[in-house]
Amino acid sequence: MYPRPIGEYHRPASLHEALQLAGSGRGGAIYIAGGMSLMQALKSRVAEAERLIDLNHIAELRGIAEEDGGLTIGAMTRHRDLAAQAGRLGAYEAIADAAAHVGDRQVRNRGTIGGSLSWNYVAACLPTVALGCGAVVRSVGTSGERVETPIDAFQKGALTTALEEGEIVTAIHFPRAPAGAGSAYRKWGIVHDALPVIGVCVHVQTADGRITGGRFAVTGLADGPARSARAEAQMAQGFAATDAAAISACAAAAAEELSPPGDAWVSADYKKELIAQLGREMLALAAARATGG
Amino acid sequence: MAQTIRVVVNGRTVERSVPERMLLVDFIRDELGLTGTHQGCTYEGVCGACTVHLNGEAVKSCMMLAVQADGEEITTIEGLARDGALHPVQKAFNEHHALQCGYCTSGMIMNAVDFLRTTPAPTEAEIRHALIGNICRCTGYQNIVAAVAAAAAAMRARAAE
Ligand SMILES: Cc1cc2nc3c(=O)[nH]c(=O)nc-3n(C[C@H](O)[C@H](O)[C@H](O)COP(=O)(O)OP(=O)(O)OC[C@H]3O[C@@H](n4cnc5c(N)ncnc54)[C@H](O)[C@@H]3O)c2cc1C
Ligand code: FES
Ligand code: FES
Repeated sequence: MYPRPIGEYHRPASLHEALQLAGSGRGGAIYIAGGMSLMQALKSRVAEAERLIDLNHIAELRGIAEEDGGLTIGAMTRHRDLAAQAGRLGAYEAIADAAAHVGDRQVRNRGTIGGSLSWNYVAACLPTVALGCGAVVRSVGTSGERVETPIDAFQKGALTTALEEGEIVTAIHFPRAPAGAGSAYRKWGIVHDALPVIGVCVHVQTADGRITGGRFAVTGLADGPARSARAEAQMAQGFAATDAAAISACAAAAAEELSPPGDAWVSADYKKELIAQLGREMLALAAARATGG
Repeated sequence: MAQTIRVVVNGRTVERSVPERMLLVDFIRDELGLTGTHQGCTYEGVCGACTVHLNGEAVKSCMMLAVQADGEEITTIEGLARDGALHPVQKAFNEHHALQCGYCTSGMIMNAVDFLRTTPAPTEAEIRHALIGNICRCTGYQNIVAAVAAAAAAMRARAAE
């Protein structure tokens, strides 16, 4: 049952200290955040930690702050704290939609947004919301250099990100959205609040009751979350925010474009149907939120 | 390969030298002999049987290392009763037949106690949503949900006294 032996356990109190520990040139360092993915990997011995560096005691990595009209969320902010923000996130309600249904209470009490984005599992909620909402990932490398990476460049496929060895995600920034923007996320899983079989995040821009553009992101694909260029092209062309036929057509375009893999439980066709259905619902919900409806 | 930790468990400070890789649940059960905390799945962290409180919040103790609890407060099912009197959630589980084999029970109760602390007047839907992380193979959940609702009512009544 045990993980493989762990050489050292460190509990830095500052980012600087954590980076020094990781960058000491000895290699083998792994960060632990909520542990909700990493502990599974350590226990099953998929991952091994020569030196485990615990990020749970670094206060500067926690918290939700407004910044230049946008939103900055510390990497160590837990799903529970994001879920508690429901109704207060403006154009970024999708964050709370997702966080409120990650796993279960105990998982939400520990799991973090930074850990979720860093792990980038193929079926995960927060990475999809970050992609759908056009977030920017802030990180700092062991040299101390601070980096800002747009989410599209940060996500590099299944369980892969742009992070280099020892680099720490410090915060996720959601840029200031113009008036008339809104977002929504929902997933469908085998059981309630389970990992998504398919999850969809839609972020829309509206003006005078019309959708004028947006982003459409889907999880449950083989290579991690992806955007639908066809759905986004239809949003950019524009349609009335309450036009049910146009909303359906937009979601159907995403279902046609993306190729989720079938598995033992859910066929590829059924997953496409889920993209169409969840896409419709999330587009309508995001549009309603954007127009105050 | 080993580290000395000091943890306040059920109000008492314990100090032990533990290997870094020891799971918190194994520390609680094997080192401290507090076997009320159960271990169901262990690898995936999906069953909730091992739920304890870390500084008052429900967490799965198979999803943490014992060294991570250094300097923290842990409460297990053995630490809920006060002066020999069962906690209202424990009493309600007993009165509403909310258990059969009892394997899931300590985890259910630890989660419910934390849930009711943050949500003193839950709806049935909220109770069901709160218990998603705890699997019961026996009861069919009906009586568990009823027990949590009854405990909430009893605790509200007591708070109003
Ligand atoms: C029972 C269960 C159900 C779940 N259900 C869902 C679900 O429905 N939807 C969903 O999306 N997820 C789900 N998850 C996963 C959950 O969201 C995790 O919280 C998340 O995947 C990892 O976050 P963490 O903070 O726990 O990170 P950890 O597990 O601690 O770390 C994950 C990885 O990221 C690295 N890392 C962590 N933080 C940083 C950082 N700041 N900088 C650089 N690297 C970092 C770690 O080194 C590790 O490699 C579930 C997990 C469990 C156990
Ligand atoms: S033993 Fe911890 S969740 Fe199952
Ligand atoms: S009472 Fe047997 S598992 Fe719940």
